[in-house]
Amino acid sequence: MRKFSTALGSAIGCLLVGSGMIASASATELTVWCWDPDFNVPAMQEAAARYNKLHPDVKITIDNIAQNDIKQKLQTQLLAKVTDGLPDIVLIQDDNAQRFLQAFPGAFEPLSDAIDMKKFAPYKVAAATFEGKSYSVPFDSGVTGLFYRTDYLEAAGYKPADLEDITWDQLIKIGTDVKAKTGHDFFDLDFSEAGVVRAMMQSAGKWFLTPDGQPDILDNAPLKAALDTYSKLWKAGIVKPVSGWSAYTGAFTSGEVAAVVSGAWMTGTIKANADQSGKWAIAPLPKLDGVDGATHYSNWGGSSWYVFSSAKEKATAIDFLNTVWANDVDFYQGILVKQGAISSLLAARDGDAYKAVDPFFGGAPVWENFAKWLGQVPAVDYGTFTQEVNSAIQEQLPAIAKGGSVDEALKAINDRVEQQVQ
Amino acid sequence: MIPAGKLANRALVHAILAAASFASIFPFYWMVVGATNTSADVIRGKTSFGANLIANIENLLAQVDVGRVFLNSAGLAVVGTVLTLLISSMAGYGFEMFRSHVREKVFALLLLLLSIPFAALMVPLFVMVSSAGLANTFIAVLLPSLASIFIIFYFRQATKAFPSELRDAARIDGLKEWQIFLYVYMPSMRSTYAAATIIVFMLSWNNFLWPLIVLQTPEHKTITLVISALTSAYTPDFGVILVATILATLPTLILFFVLQRQFVAGMLGSVK
Amino acid sequence: MKDTPLARSKIARSEQVNGWLFVMPALALLGIFLVYPILWSLWISLQVGKGSNLHFGGFANIIRLFGDRVFLHALTNTCIFFVVQVPIMIVLALIFAVMLNDSKLWGRGFYRTAIFLPCVTSLVAYSALFRSMFEADGVVNNALLALHLIAEPIQWLTDPVWAKVMIILAITWRWTGYNMIFYLAALQNIDQSIYEAARIDGIPARARFLRLTVPLLKPVILFTSIISTIGTLQLFDEVNNITQGGPGDATLTLSLYIYNLTFQFMPSFGYSATVSYVIVAMVAVLSFLQFMVAREKS
Repeated sequence: MRKFSTALGSAIGCLLVGSGMIASASATELTVWCWDPDFNVPAMQEAAARYNKLHPDVKITIDNIAQNDIKQKLQTQLLAKVTDGLPDIVLIQDDNAQRFLQAFPGAFEPLSDAIDMKKFAPYKVAAATFEGKSYSVPFDSGVTGLFYRTDYLEAAGYKPADLEDITWDQLIKIGTDVKAKTGHDFFDLDFSEAGVVRAMMQSAGKWFLTPDGQPDILDNAPLKAALDTYSKLWKAGIVKPVSGWSAYTGAFTSGEVAAVVSGAWMTGTIKANADQSGKWAIAPLPKLDGVDGATHYSNWGGSSWYVFSSAKEKATAIDFLNTVWANDVDFYQGILVKQGAISSLLAARDGDAYKAVDPFFGGAPVWENFAKWLGQVPAVDYGTFTQEVNSAIQEQLPAIAKGGSVDEALKAINDRVEQQVQ
Repeated sequence: MIPAGKLANRALVHAILAAASFASIFPFYWMVVGATNTSADVIRGKTSFGANLIANIENLLAQVDVGRVFLNSAGLAVVGTVLTLLISSMAGYGFEMFRSHVREKVFALLLLLLSIPFAALMVPLFVMVSSAGLANTFIAVLLPSLASIFIIFYFRQATKAFPSELRDAARIDGLKEWQIFLYVYMPSMRSTYAAATIIVFMLSWNNFLWPLIVLQTPEHKTITLVISALTSAYTPDFGVILVATILATLPTLILFFVLQRQFVAGMLGSVK
Repeated sequence: MKDTPLARSKIARSEQVNGWLFVMPALALLGIFLVYPILWSLWISLQVGKGSNLHFGGFANIIRLFGDRVFLHALTNTCIFFVVQVPIMIVLALIFAVMLNDSKLWGRGFYRTAIFLPCVTSLVAYSALFRSMFEADGVVNNALLALHLIAEPIQWLTDPVWAKVMIILAITWRWTGYNMIFYLAALQNIDQSIYEAARIDGIPARARFLRLTVPLLKPVILFTSIISTIGTLQLFDEVNNITQGGPGDATLTLSLYIYNLTFQFMPSFGYSATVSYVIVAMVAVLSFLQFMVAREKS
C-alpha cells in the first residue's frame, strides 16, 4: 500500500514533467525557507534526500531563517512586488497563514487541485483554506497535551489515571494539593504568551471569529470560560509568573514547577533533561467546565509548507511536496524518531515508529496517544486577526491574574479589537 | 604629599568607576561562561565555567559556515566604515566650515530625515535596489548607509572645536581646500575619527534589517543574520548561540581596544 | 592677500563652490537613497487596506490615530522612557567621561573598556541575562532584600511600573558607555592650558566642570542628546527582547507598535507609515527645543 502511494506520487510527478511544465533540461533547483535548525530544517533535509533518490537532478537548497525574519522578507518583497528573491517553498505557522493569504492574493499557489487534502488532519487543512482552495501541505501538528511530573503528583497522592478525562476545575484542585504537599507551583505562565488561553478555547471548537469572519469576543463562551479558568489558576496561587521563553521553559525543565500545557513539539525540550527520565507523563488536555462542545483536544502552534505562485520551479516544488510530504509514510516515521515531528498525514500514524513506547514518559506510547488525539482536534477558522486579538488578550492578562473581573477584561478586549480591525 | 581631601576624592572616583565597570562586565562574563556550558545549564542560570565549549564550537561549525559568514560581515563592515567616514566627515566639515543659508536649511532638513524609522523606507528602497539589478549584492547593502546623517551631524558638531586659525595658516601657506581637509583637518581630529570609526564599524557590523531584506542566498549571509536564525529554534541551543555572539562581539571590542588610545588626554597636545 | 572688493567676492564664491563640493557626495547619495523612499512612504501613509490591496484613504489613517487606544498607550510609554531616561544617561556619560579623562587616573584603560562593553555585548545574551537577573527570585531582588532596602521582592517583569523602570535601567546600562565615547573624543579637543589656568586661579573642580567643561562640550552634548532622543523615541530592541512590550503593553513603544502593525498584525502599511511620521514629528519638535535651549545659554 505504502509503495503504491509512493509510486502514484512519482507518477503524478512524471506526468507534470512530461507535460512540459518543467522546462529546464538542466538540473532543477528548489529553494526552501524554514526556521528551526533542530526541527523543521533537518526534517526538510531528510525529505529532500528522499526525493533526490527518485530525482537526482533536482537540487534542493534549505535555508535556515528565523520565523520573524521570514515574515519580514516575505512581506517586504510581496509588497514591493519583486518576487525574484523569494524561494519556491516556505514554511508558515498555521495561525499566520490566513493573514498572508488574504493580504497578498495570488502570491501563493493553491495546492488542493494537485494534492489530495483528505489525507491530512482536517483542522490543519482548514487553517490553510481560503475561498474554497487549500494552499498548504501540512507539516507538524501542535496537538496539545498536559506534560506533568509524576513524582510530584505521586507525593500529593495522585496517579496518572487521576489526570485522564478531567476538567480544569479538577486539575486546579490537584494543582493546589501538589503545591500544599511539595511546595512546587503547578504551572508557570508568561503574560506575553496567551497560548494557553487559545488552546483552551480551541478545545471547545471555537476561535475569535464569527462564521462570517467578524470578531467574536463578548458572546464567545469558550473564550470566557478560558479566561475564567486562567483567572482561577492565579487565584488558586499555583502559578509562578515568568517572563520570556527561556525562563518559561526553564521553570518546568528544572523541576521548579510541576506541569506545563503545550503542543507536542515541547516533548523534545522536556526530554533534553535526561536526568528526569521516568519522572514525566503526558495526559490529554482537561476539558473546559460548563461549555458545550468542550473536548480534551486542542492545538498550539504547528506549521505548513506553502508554494509561491511566482516560483520558477513551481511544478517541481508541488511534485516534491506531493511525493514525500503527502505520501511517504516511511519518511514520517524517521522524522518522528529524529525530530519528534508529529505528522499531520493521517496514514503516517499507522507506521511502526508511532507504536514505540518511551521510557522517559514511564513507558507510555506517547506518539500513539498524540496521534490519536490529533484526529480529534476541533477544526477552527483562524481568520486574519488572530494576532490583534491575541495582543488585546495579552494586555488584559496581568489584570486578570491580579484578580480583575473577566467580564471587564472581555469588554476591554472587544473595544480594542473593534478599533484595530479596520 | 597628597592632601587627605584629594585622596578621599580619588577613592570615590575609583569606587564609582569600579561599580560601573562591574555592572558593565558582568553580563559579558555571563556570556563567556554561557558559551562553555550546555544549553540546559545556561537556562538554569549556572554562573561557573563548564566543559562544553568545544562541543558548542563544533555544533556551531556544523551548522554554519563560520569563515564565510565572518568574511562577509568583516568585508561589509571595513569597506562600509572607510567609505562612510570619508563621505560623511567631508560633508560634516563642509557644512561647518563653509557657511551658507541654503546649506543651513539643507542641514536642518537632514536632521529631520534622520528620525524616520527605517522600517517605513524599506519597501521603496528594496524596489529601487532590485530594479537596478542590485538585489542580493553587497553593494546594495552598503550604498544606502554610506552617507550617514548621524555621522555628518557628529562631524559637524566636532568641527566646531577645530580652530579656524589652523585653516587660515594653511591657506596662507597656499594649500588647496582638499589639502587642508586631508593634511590639516584629518590629523588634528584624530580622536574624533577614532570615536567615529568605533561607532560606524559597530553599526555596520550589527546592521540587521536591511541586509536581511536584501541578501537572499546562504553564501551572502552575515553574522547577525546567522545569529538571528539560531535563536529562532523552538528549543534554542544557548551554548551555541553564545559562542556565536562572542565571535560577533570580538571585532568591535578589539577595534575599541586599539583605538581608545586616541582618547588619552594630552597625547596629541591640544591644538594650538 | 589684498583686501579689495574683488578679492573678497572671489573668496566668497570659492567658499560657496568648496562648500558644495565637500557636501555633494553625501547629498547625492542621500538624494538617491532617501528622498524617493520618503516620498513613497508619505504617499503610502495616505493609503488604507490590507497587505497589497491598498487604496487611497486621504486622512483616514490620521483620524484612526486619535481613536487608537494602543497608539496612545505606546506614545505615553515612549514619552516616559524619553523624559526619564535621556537626561540620566547623558549626565552619567558626561561624568564618566570627565573622570576617565584624568591622565593621572590609575587603570583608566580598563575602566574605559569596561564601561564601553555593554554596547557591544550581544542583545540576545544581555536580554536573557537581564530577564533572569530581574526575576522575582533573581539576583537583583536577593541583593536588595539582603541589604534591607526592600521588604518584599519587586515584581520587575510582571508589574507595569517596575517593568518600565527595568527597561530604563537596561537602556541606560547599554548606551551610557556609547555616549561616553563622544565626550571622551571631544575632551581631547579642549585646550588643557585653560584648565591649568583655572586650577592655578583656585577654581574648584565642580565649578571647572560646570563653567568650563560643559560649555566647551556643548556642541557634542547637543549632538548626543538629539541622537539619544531619536534613539529612545525609536526604542525597539530592549522592549522587544526583554519584555515583548509586556506585561500587558506596559512597555509597548511606538517602534514596537509599528513593527506589530507591519509584521505581526494584518499588514496595514499605510497606517504603520503614519505612526512612523508621528515619531518624525516628535523628533522635529524636540530637536528644535534642544537647539533653542542650546542657543539661549550661549
